[in-house]
Amino acid sequence: MGVDILPLVTSIVTFYGIYLILALSFNIEYGFAGQPNFGKVFFYSIGAYVAGNFTANMLMRASGVTGVDFCSDLAAEVRFKVAMSKPWLIIALFLLSLLIAAAVGGVFGYLTSYPALRLSGDFLAIVLLAFGEIGRVFARNYTPLVCGVYGLSGVPNPLVWIGDPRMARLAYSAIVLAIAFGMYLLTERLVNSPYGRLLKSIRDDELVSSVMGKVTPRVKGSALIIGSSMAAVAGVLYAFYVQTVVADDFIPIVTFVVVTMVMLGGVANNKGTLLGAMVMTLMDRLTRASFLRILGISVGFDISYVRYIVTGLLIILILMVKPEGLISEKPLKTPAIEEAEKLS
Amino acid sequence: MLQLAAPLLTALLLGSLYTLMALGLTMTYAVTSIPNFAHAEFVTIGAYIMAVAVNFGKLGLVGGLASAFLFAALVALATDELVFKKLAALGATPLHLLTASIGVGLVLRYTLSIVADLKGLLSVKTRVVVNPVATIGQAYLTTLHLWAVPTTLAVVAVLHLVFMKTKIGKAMRAMASNLDLARVSGINTTLVRRVTWVIAGGLAGVAGGFWSVYSPINPETGWVALLWIFAASILGGFRSFYGTVLGGYVVGFSESLGITFLSRYLGVNVAYKPMIALLIIVVVFLWKPTGLAEVTPRGLLESLKKAVGR
Repeated sequence: MGVDILPLVTSIVTFYGIYLILALSFNIEYGFAGQPNFGKVFFYSIGAYVAGNFTANMLMRASGVTGVDFCSDLAAEVRFKVAMSKPWLIIALFLLSLLIAAAVGGVFGYLTSYPALRLSGDFLAIVLLAFGEIGRVFARNYTPLVCGVYGLSGVPNPLVWIGDPRMARLAYSAIVLAIAFGMYLLTERLVNSPYGRLLKSIRDDELVSSVMGKVTPRVKGSALIIGSSMAAVAGVLYAFYVQTVVADDFIPIVTFVVVTMVMLGGVANNKGTLLGAMVMTLMDRLTRASFLRILGISVGFDISYVRYIVTGLLIILILMVKPEGLISEKPLKTPAIEEAEKLS
Repeated sequence: MLQLAAPLLTALLLGSLYTLMALGLTMTYAVTSIPNFAHAEFVTIGAYIMAVAVNFGKLGLVGGLASAFLFAALVALATDELVFKKLAALGATPLHLLTASIGVGLVLRYTLSIVADLKGLLSVKTRVVVNPVATIGQAYLTTLHLWAVPTTLAVVAVLHLVFMKTKIGKAMRAMASNLDLARVSGINTTLVRRVTWVIAGGLAGVAGGFWSVYSPINPETGWVALLWIFAASILGGFRSFYGTVLGGYVVGFSESLGITFLSRYLGVNVAYKPMIALLIIVVVFLWKPTGLAEVTPRGLLESLKKAVGR
């Protein structure tokens, strides 16, 4: 029996890339800077909204078709046709979406520093969770953004012109993974720089840092800008992968999954984040009805429930047994320390 | 004016139920410093127990509510004994406790979902006959109002007496204001903690029971209501008993009346309703973290004078 596992592999690779970016961004904000951004899904959704709205609008304009409802199935078809015929256009739109989303995400991250400077810990987490829900309630009711409750479909894969949709998806997943890995290297570089040390010092004792003359509010704000920008990029990658943008995809549980990745893998350790994101991605992808069908298993209830229960259990277990995560925080890598290690 | 009768009566009912739910959230936060997201599940469990007890167990309204109280209280106690107490002993931060409560909530909610899905109970309503007792304009005052509103007021009165007159109530207040001091004063903090969780879970369960009479329930019922519960509790100052009672009714009225006003006079889509609760949470936390708890007539007068004087 020939079982086609290519779609499964593609989806695991793509979602690993997307979740890795989200987890890295949460690790910068929470792990290194101590700001629990429980509104993560909001910044993720911003990327998806920007990508969806901007790309769809531009494609409609390029098609020259007028008088068609932006949200209709016909419009989605028109957009696919344009993307098929103009490879350079859809690639340019993809790259522009990434840039615009990163900028918009950064702006919203800057706005987030307003509550972050007034609150901390659990209260900040609650307010940012509320921010995320405000964004979702707004997006599902304000139809010009992404067509409200029904969502915007017809955001073509940027490589759709390859022809074979399976190959296009596979190639796209490679791009996502490459971007995610680039983000990983950048994050590693960032947190091992003097800036990373500054973040940690503020997390551990803000008073000491400010006595040393650091403008701590500005630094906290900058961490949120970086994190939100990254999350928005992940949102763009998601929108172009699933090719639809629905506001109700961005529910708080997405944030909780990202939080679990970081807490499971290891807070303030990017290698831990690599691991945590892998564990959670596999769990996310392998508890789908489509995967169970490959194994020939069927259950009498919605399999998503199992995924949520396991996520909940993982959160509880990790906090009770190993609150620092599987791979705990390591000393910073600075040139001086590396030299010292070589000598000894 | 008569047009407002229906939303007013709904507001009265919702306010009562939110108060019942939020009281427990405030109590567990004040005594154990856990912003408990799993509180939503106590509501849902109470609602399901009520529906099953009445529809299949042939228990009456009182019997159903009693079993809802009992089950939800037991689940609440179990979550604390198995998770929160141990985490607190390990010295978990409030943020870790919050995250753990989200985990507990996920486990409870979706375990219930599996059971409900297998038993074909993804949407049920408690079959209790609700009769209109009076008509106001086009709105009905029903027996449900006559049950839920006085129950809430009675609970508030009893809790008031417990906090003021009994040893255990005073011990709770002591733990809420300073845990270490309470402990060195010889208070049995373990016992007080247990009693707090039992009352918190039980009241949420009773509120859930009433909710299942008011409208059909599903495993997400509590999670959807949680937003309003948090809004009520936070508006009340998050640690204050009387603040929460006020917060519960204010939130109930702003949900029902607020959206009626907004949609009728400003043309706002009814689907924006959750925004009211979300904005309450954000605004209170950012600009007045003590909520309504420290709003006194004198304080209002002072700030008014200041504003005029300026």
